[in-house]
Amino acid sequence: MTETEIAGRPPAGTDGRARRRAPETGREARVLARRRRRRLAPYVFVAPYALFLVGFGIAPAVYGFYTSLFTDDTDAGTTFAPLTNWGEVLTDYRLADSARNVATYVALWLPSMLVLIFAIALVLHARPGRFAAAMRLVYYVPGAITGSAAALLWLFMVSPQVSPFSPLLDLLGVENATEAVSGNTPLILALMGIAIHAGGWILIVYAALAALPRDVLEAAVIDGASSWQVAMRVKFPMVSRYAALILIATFAAGTQVFVEPTVLATGVPGQISSTWSINQLAYYYATQQGDFGKAAALSLALLLVGLVVALFVIYRTKFYRIDRGLS
Amino acid sequence: MAVQTTTHGAGRVAGGSLRVGFLMVCAVFFGLPVVWLILAATKTQASIFSDHPLSMGSLGNIAQGWSNLLTFNDGELVGWIWNSLYYAGSSVVIATVLSVPAGYALAKYDFAGRKALLVLTLIGMIIPTAALVLPLYLQMNALGLLGTPASVILPLAFYPFAVYLCYVYCTTSLPDSLLEAARVDGASEAALFFRIVLPLSKPIIGMIFFFSFVHAWTSFFLPFVMLSDDRTFNLQVGLMMLLQSTDAINAEGGFAALPIHQPEAALAALVAVAPVLVAFLFAQRYLTASDVSGAEKG
Repeated sequence: MTETEIAGRPPAGTDGRARRRAPETGREARVLARRRRRRLAPYVFVAPYALFLVGFGIAPAVYGFYTSLFTDDTDAGTTFAPLTNWGEVLTDYRLADSARNVATYVALWLPSMLVLIFAIALVLHARPGRFAAAMRLVYYVPGAITGSAAALLWLFMVSPQVSPFSPLLDLLGVENATEAVSGNTPLILALMGIAIHAGGWILIVYAALAALPRDVLEAAVIDGASSWQVAMRVKFPMVSRYAALILIATFAAGTQVFVEPTVLATGVPGQISSTWSINQLAYYYATQQGDFGKAAALSLALLLVGLVVALFVIYRTKFYRIDRGLS
Repeated sequence: MAVQTTTHGAGRVAGGSLRVGFLMVCAVFFGLPVVWLILAATKTQASIFSDHPLSMGSLGNIAQGWSNLLTFNDGELVGWIWNSLYYAGSSVVIATVLSVPAGYALAKYDFAGRKALLVLTLIGMIIPTAALVLPLYLQMNALGLLGTPASVILPLAFYPFAVYLCYVYCTTSLPDSLLEAARVDGASEAALFFRIVLPLSKPIIGMIFFFSFVHAWTSFFLPFVMLSDDRTFNLQVGLMMLLQSTDAINAEGGFAALPIHQPEAALAALVAVAPVLVAFLFAQRYLTASDVSGAEKG
């Protein structure tokens, strides 16, 4: 496909070619000016955002790293001890438990949610319409319930006497909320995590599917592909960059899980440790011990784990490549 | 031929009911907690335990619950709702204006610093809030902004996830051929962005609007740290304070004298969710507003 065909204005192209053979100085100057503007344009587009990125992202992160290098003592004052916080945090006896909890949680939550997100989005997109729109809303709403209200909601969901899921809980032989939580903490948290997080991603993948070029999909149907084949061989590969984005974001979110265990711990006291997850341990350092150096060290260690996985995904999927000639 | 059509049709019906069945099972999983929450708001403290989980109380209980919620600090709840709308509304506008051009430029221009910006944005996206909030607190303190709306709005307006959404959308759904064609036609880079990219990016702008709204509306830890006067609280921080000082969540905790129990907590949750639903319905309209392939054929 040439540019003129796409533009649908043949004279522009032929005109340009004819003139290029006999260049005029005025035209050359205009072309040069336009090239310069094209070189400068991206900087203008990113500048305002870059300002916020530095001010509210990079600067505080660097400062956080800086605090992690100092220890704060009521007697000795603030001292520069680059390895103390990091060493104490990484050898904290609670970290091993938290890390194991989080690993179990991520292993249960992440794969099942990824499959569910793409399954639901692709099935919804097979027949867009009012029903699909209503379903997207239904899937989204649990994620919008946060904070104390979420604690109340999920406590009731796991209490067999009052839960709408009581037949299911009876089936599992669960007698009360405490029992439900103590025996199956990672499973219940993973189910909560899916209910809370899947809806947003379903929206995003659906929006991506809705923006796919219609002619490609129509061509596949005309070629005799079933809706299953269209979904798996045409639609999914076209939105694969979203899969990479979801993998990066959900892995980071999973390793930083905080809301679900905190919420459940509020509802069912004594069954879930206040340092169940790694991120909770970081908050514990900051809020219970007032030790911000340690909190920063552990948070940044979590960031590093997420970053390693993210860069691996980015490298494997060529996520940052600029595509030339998509069509 | 006729036979073939029939089997094909039968397969389609079977596939259709399978599809609807799958979606309905998922709807039960996601929807049942919400249905329960709505019903809980119609019940009384006693009937929430004694009646069937999916039975309905009376609508009068909702009105009663609302006036019970307003007994807390002379209806402070209403002020929190306005604060939340103000903080979230301002940060959404800034976040959208910042992230759409940035995501587009990162996707469609090759420029020095592009990869660095992408990686730094990635770090901003996945960095734990705990690592940022305390330094932000000190930063706002140094700027003398602590306790002001700006101390909440500005950090919330930095929403790197929106940049990535726009970046992925532009790389996936915005053909280069289209942009080149417009350049050949003599469009300036600004005209390209405003007249071609923006109209074609409506679905993702709707998504960015929606997600940055939810991000700001549900934010808890940042306003919790930045704001100390309870009149400036947003709804999330306010509700946490309200519910923890009553016996709605913790039976041991606080002022049992206030008539705020589980039904009121359920109602408070619904009040907190309602604007998200409105934003959803608003963003929904943009979802299918674009068709790049049609534009390409011009």
